[in-house]
Amino acid sequence: MAGQGIQRREMLRILGTAAAAAHFPGFSKWGFACGHIGNATLQIKPATYTPQFFTAAEYAVVERLTEMIIPTDSTPGAKEAGVAEFIDFMVASDPEAQYPFRTGLTWLNAHAEQTAGKRFVELTPDQQTSLLEPLSFKDKGRPGDDIGHRFFHTVREYTVTGFYTSEIGFKELDNPALKFYAESPECPHKGDPEHLHLSQTHS
Amino acid sequence: MAKQIYDVIVIGTGAGGGMAIKTLCEAGLKVCALNAGRRLDPEKDFRYHRMPWDMKFRGLDDPKRSESFGYMDNEYTKQAWDHEIPFTVAPGTKWMWPRCKAVGGKTNFWGRSSARFGDIDFKAASRDGYDVDWPITHEEISPFYTRVEKMIGVASTVQNRPSNPDGSYLRPFNFRCLDFILAAGCNKVGVPYLPDRCAQLTQPHEGHPACHFCGECTTGCDVGAFFSTPYFLLPKAEATKNLELRTDALAKNVLVDENGQATGVAYLDRKTKQEVEVYGRAVVVAASCIESARIMLNSKSRHWPNGIANSSGQVGRNLCDHLYGESVRGYLPQLLGQPSFPDHVADSTIAWMPRWQNLKDPHEEKFIRGYSVYPDGGCTEFPWFANDLDGFGSSFKREIKRRYPSPVSFGIQAPSLRSETNFMDLDPEVKDPYGIPVARMHFEWDENVLKMWEHSKQVCADVLRAAGGVVEGSGDTPEIPGWSLHETGTCRMGNDPKSFVTNRFGQTHDVPNLYVCDASVFLNCTDKTTTISILAFSLRTSEHLIENFRQGEHKAA
Repeated sequence: MAGQGIQRREMLRILGTAAAAAHFPGFSKWGFACGHIGNATLQIKPATYTPQFFTAAEYAVVERLTEMIIPTDSTPGAKEAGVAEFIDFMVASDPEAQYPFRTGLTWLNAHAEQTAGKRFVELTPDQQTSLLEPLSFKDKGRPGDDIGHRFFHTVREYTVTGFYTSEIGFKELDNPALKFYAESPECPHKGDPEHLHLSQTHS
Repeated sequence: MAKQIYDVIVIGTGAGGGMAIKTLCEAGLKVCALNAGRRLDPEKDFRYHRMPWDMKFRGLDDPKRSESFGYMDNEYTKQAWDHEIPFTVAPGTKWMWPRCKAVGGKTNFWGRSSARFGDIDFKAASRDGYDVDWPITHEEISPFYTRVEKMIGVASTVQNRPSNPDGSYLRPFNFRCLDFILAAGCNKVGVPYLPDRCAQLTQPHEGHPACHFCGECTTGCDVGAFFSTPYFLLPKAEATKNLELRTDALAKNVLVDENGQATGVAYLDRKTKQEVEVYGRAVVVAASCIESARIMLNSKSRHWPNGIANSSGQVGRNLCDHLYGESVRGYLPQLLGQPSFPDHVADSTIAWMPRWQNLKDPHEEKFIRGYSVYPDGGCTEFPWFANDLDGFGSSFKREIKRRYPSPVSFGIQAPSLRSETNFMDLDPEVKDPYGIPVARMHFEWDENVLKMWEHSKQVCADVLRAAGGVVEGSGDTPEIPGWSLHETGTCRMGNDPKSFVTNRFGQTHDVPNLYVCDASVFLNCTDKTTTISILAFSLRTSEHLIENFRQGEHKAA
């Protein structure tokens, strides 16, 4: 059928990619948790949240990672959107994701100990950033960092998904999905079909 | 109590079955329709404007559910899809077979692209020497297309393309920024970029409300602003009081008398698990291409040891499908940093690049026949491109927002060629939970369609670059067969009873009171989508059936 949108094809593309990465399946399945259980809104209270899957120490690392990936800056970030809770719920719901997350977190702390002599959450923000940067390029993992590279990108995919499927994430993008219009929305720059005037101001 | 005999038993309530049911009931025939699942309630079974954070798994469903059929079978609509009836694949075959068991079938969630087939399709064999022509011309089928277009409402424009006969249309979707930019690129490369034929109501039509452009069509429309049988056809049939619709009724086989003629259908009541027989003077099979063939192959009797109406041995053969895939993806720098825009109000069916290959000369390309392309992009519900970016932190977050209006993607729709090796049969060992042999798929993409795939990658990259865009990649491989839901050919129509299952009206050669009303009668899948053609051919077959009742060939109840 022709109506399958870019996002659904992309979802399957990620699925296919993920299936190839045996130990870090990433989005090996469809599901991602959220701050709602059924119709009852789950109040997000970071101070009292008890992780369902992660240990307290693991959860602190996950929280820190999500906040580094989508930080709170001029707009709210992963922290306000409850992304760490989302990931915990997601991983708790997906037995296949649990081992990769656990070994990835173990790797991260071992790596931090090795390079800076401390566990990840004990590093300074600058040290944490320096540690993650080499892992964060999509196609350029350093030799020996394969586990870390895959783990980082898995966490980043979960973080992106958790954030941009939240109400806060919709606001961040001014997401136009699911709104109502009287007419099919039309390009406002028909005088310049190639939209060259836009590329001059924004390229 | 004498057993009840209906005029017609119709298996299936999707596009083909729905049209048959409505047409037969309005002609005064008593119809019993069988549907494998239940009726849907838009409020409970469609997305119904729920946001991702309203859902336990944000609309993407429980990760422990491993049997998902993919893009449509998600947390919002999963209950409509059939996961109980398995199928098998022959060694080397990959196949995906999403079946919507709900009343209305896949019309509840379909893609809505609605182009007519033309003589370039019907007479393709005469042009290029491959396979055989259809037993019909556009001139013959055109009045049925016209009536269907009026019935369902199709938004488009008159385009005067040799591969795409024009019809009567509602006003088209407006072009978005990305459409104008890509159209300029297409113009430079010399390929068409035009409004798609989209069965989505850009204005109120025949008592149906106009679309509100929320963009969630493929998770079900809660107001019925695009064609589906539960909104457009079944209410008209029910208004005649001539319809009895039996739900959760899984058709098993067609019943025959001592002369091998159809007398009804045996089905399994999924609630009671009991086998039930229902009787009629004629039977219409419209369960979708593969399921219809499965039912016919499972209808074995003394007369029909290889399945009903299968003296030609062609039931289940000649399976064709559309190759789908992402020919190119990238982005338009012109749109970087622009305010978000509601680009996704019709999924990928606002514009299309209708077949431009092999129009004048059937052999001008390295492949025969042709394909179409559906461009798509802009602000989608989820920023999927983010996972292709580097980095993290505020710069990453800003880049996602900057890129949000800019991504584009080109999806190919290319027909496989009919071959001896692409078909379905019954698995000799595996049975479904009701003890019925399951379908076994044998299918691989042919060399011709894979050449189209390679060709489309090149042309779409040229188009994107000519539009000032940046090419970032393409699908490594096409989607697996079955993905498009456009399978055709398992009961092909033709004049020769030795080579074809049905005659040119969709009436089986062997069993005159057995008709087929779905894409299984099509000779191949062309470069166009199948639904509007299923509707037009089903309307024609149904009227032929009615005429046969009038002539006394099938005696009315």
